[in-house]
Amino acid sequence: MNISISNHKIADLLILIVLFSLVSWYAYDAYSASSHIVNLILILPVTAIVLVLCTVEFLSTLTAKALVEPEREAVASVLPVISLFVGYVLTLSWLGFDVGTFIFISLFMWLHGERRLVWVLGYSIAFATSISLFFAAMLPYPMPMLILSTAY
Amino acid sequence: MINIDDVYAGLSLLFSDFTPWLIVIPGILIGLIFGAIPGLQISMAMAIFLPLTLYMDFMQAMLFLTAIFTGGGYGGSIPAILMNIPGTSSSIATTFDGYPMSKMGRHNIALGIGLGASCIGVIIGYSLLFLLISPISEMVLKLGPAEMAAVILWGITLIASLSGENINKGIISGFIGLLIGTVGYSEAGVTRGTMGSIYLLDGIPAIPAMMGMFAASELFKLVNTKYLVKDESLRKVSVKEIIAGFKLAFSYPWVLVRGSLIGVFVGSIPGVGSSVANLLSYIQTKRKDKKPESFGKGNPAGVVASEAANSTSEAGSMATLLALGIPGGGATAVMLAAFAMHNITGGPQFIREQTDIVYAIVFANFGQAFLLILLGLMFIPILANVVKVPMNYLVPSVLSLSVFGAFGLTGDLTGPITVMVFALVGWIFKRFDYSVPAAVIGLLLGGMAEESLIHSYQISGGLWSYLLERPVTIIILVLLCLSLFGGKLVAMLSRKVAK
Repeated sequence: MNISISNHKIADLLILIVLFSLVSWYAYDAYSASSHIVNLILILPVTAIVLVLCTVEFLSTLTAKALVEPEREAVASVLPVISLFVGYVLTLSWLGFDVGTFIFISLFMWLHGERRLVWVLGYSIAFATSISLFFAAMLPYPMPMLILSTAY
Repeated sequence: MINIDDVYAGLSLLFSDFTPWLIVIPGILIGLIFGAIPGLQISMAMAIFLPLTLYMDFMQAMLFLTAIFTGGGYGGSIPAILMNIPGTSSSIATTFDGYPMSKMGRHNIALGIGLGASCIGVIIGYSLLFLLISPISEMVLKLGPAEMAAVILWGITLIASLSGENINKGIISGFIGLLIGTVGYSEAGVTRGTMGSIYLLDGIPAIPAMMGMFAASELFKLVNTKYLVKDESLRKVSVKEIIAGFKLAFSYPWVLVRGSLIGVFVGSIPGVGSSVANLLSYIQTKRKDKKPESFGKGNPAGVVASEAANSTSEAGSMATLLALGIPGGGATAVMLAAFAMHNITGGPQFIREQTDIVYAIVFANFGQAFLLILLGLMFIPILANVVKVPMNYLVPSVLSLSVFGAFGLTGDLTGPITVMVFALVGWIFKRFDYSVPAAVIGLLLGGMAEESLIHSYQISGGLWSYLLERPVTIIILVLLCLSLFGGKLVAMLSRKVAK
């Protein structure tokens, strides 16, 4: 059996291993909670199918001859944006929606080549303020804010 | 067949008060804008604006969402014609002849043809829905929990097998979605997959998860794009020529009717929808034409065929949603979420008990088709410029909007965190060719599928022989197997016959 391993193939295989593990863990968790048929009537058969398909896919990916590499954007180019987005969401409780959104938008614009400070600050302040005020006025519960009022 | 009392009730729902119509115009505009920006999907627009429907009654919410659907159906053709970039997957075939027309300097005519064909498509599609909804509702009333479970599994399998090149990965996505949909308290009174978090006791918040998977994950893919369209030559728009093109669409009546019929029937099959309907209609029109070689070189019939089919498939997917409670694709999945937000369960019972609302939705879409003509003519010149917005302004703004919307849905940070987690999941799924629509629909239907199976188990007493008393269930399961293995079976038989 001739097996050629490229970075794309390793990534594909890793994803399958992660999916296999997560689905197995979920089935085990459900089984531990209750082994009654009512609890497992959907989970068990669906898990079994997913695990079989993951195994089939794993083997076919592993044994596949080197094919044309799929065009995928470089992870390094998306990672800063994903990190920024994760940081934005996780700091909302401290920074509030107003300041958090301002920082997120201005950093995003700066990271992606907008160097006109007036535009960066002007747009991010205008957008963050207007959207925060709009949602604060619309929603029946208070929004976390640092500067603006939490409810209107 | 048609219940006249319900027709009157539906009309009075729509016209007794003017307020439902106030949200139709912004809805169509939102759809047009999102459709006109390549990379932004109609389902994304609907998911982002879904929280706003919390402040509307159910009828208004449906009008708003179907208006986005209608506007987006045409909006996608604008970049398809002007820049050879389909704004949505349902406009792929529009590029085949629309863009060559643009290169010939006939882009205004092509835009007009697209608008005309889309509007007529919506009218034909919803007319069919109006005529057939009663027989459909009578038929689906005979479906019990066993049939519903089989239909859900069939629908997810179809969506999974048709939404990508790799069927295995499609089914893995759909079934993982089903499993995610069962997280939290079960009917057996135990919790599954919560990892001890009290926030997950009620399950994963489906709508923020959907927003993350559809909208945010797509935006991650676009971060390295500065402008989707740089070339500004030949982009001037003439309303006079657009009107001439609009009239020209009517000179292809058979193409319109054929495209509409293909659209409505293909659109009603879960998972297939407008993405396939426009291609099928285009292929059929090309095959039947006396000069098939003229297609792909700027034949207006190609634009008519594609646009008639993709706008009609909206009515087809609405029929499946209303009759079975199963979304045919991303956009109707968001509508299913709107049903849940208003404590309404789509499906046989809904059609039987709320026929007036179903008729009102149908009539509203006739109105929307006419409004689309007006708004399309007014806003095409502006929308053609939307693609010139720098992505470093657009992407963070739409990401923030989805975070605000998710907070609005859950009332705490669970919503934004769910968007964040599922944005990452969606990005990984897209990157590795796992079907995002299948996963989202699985997530939405997981609870319903489990409930149907439990009820079937309780009714049958756990006996498999119960299935033999349910021929419809067996037929659906056979269809499920055929949709999975039918192609391979036919290929195998053809090889044997050839030998």
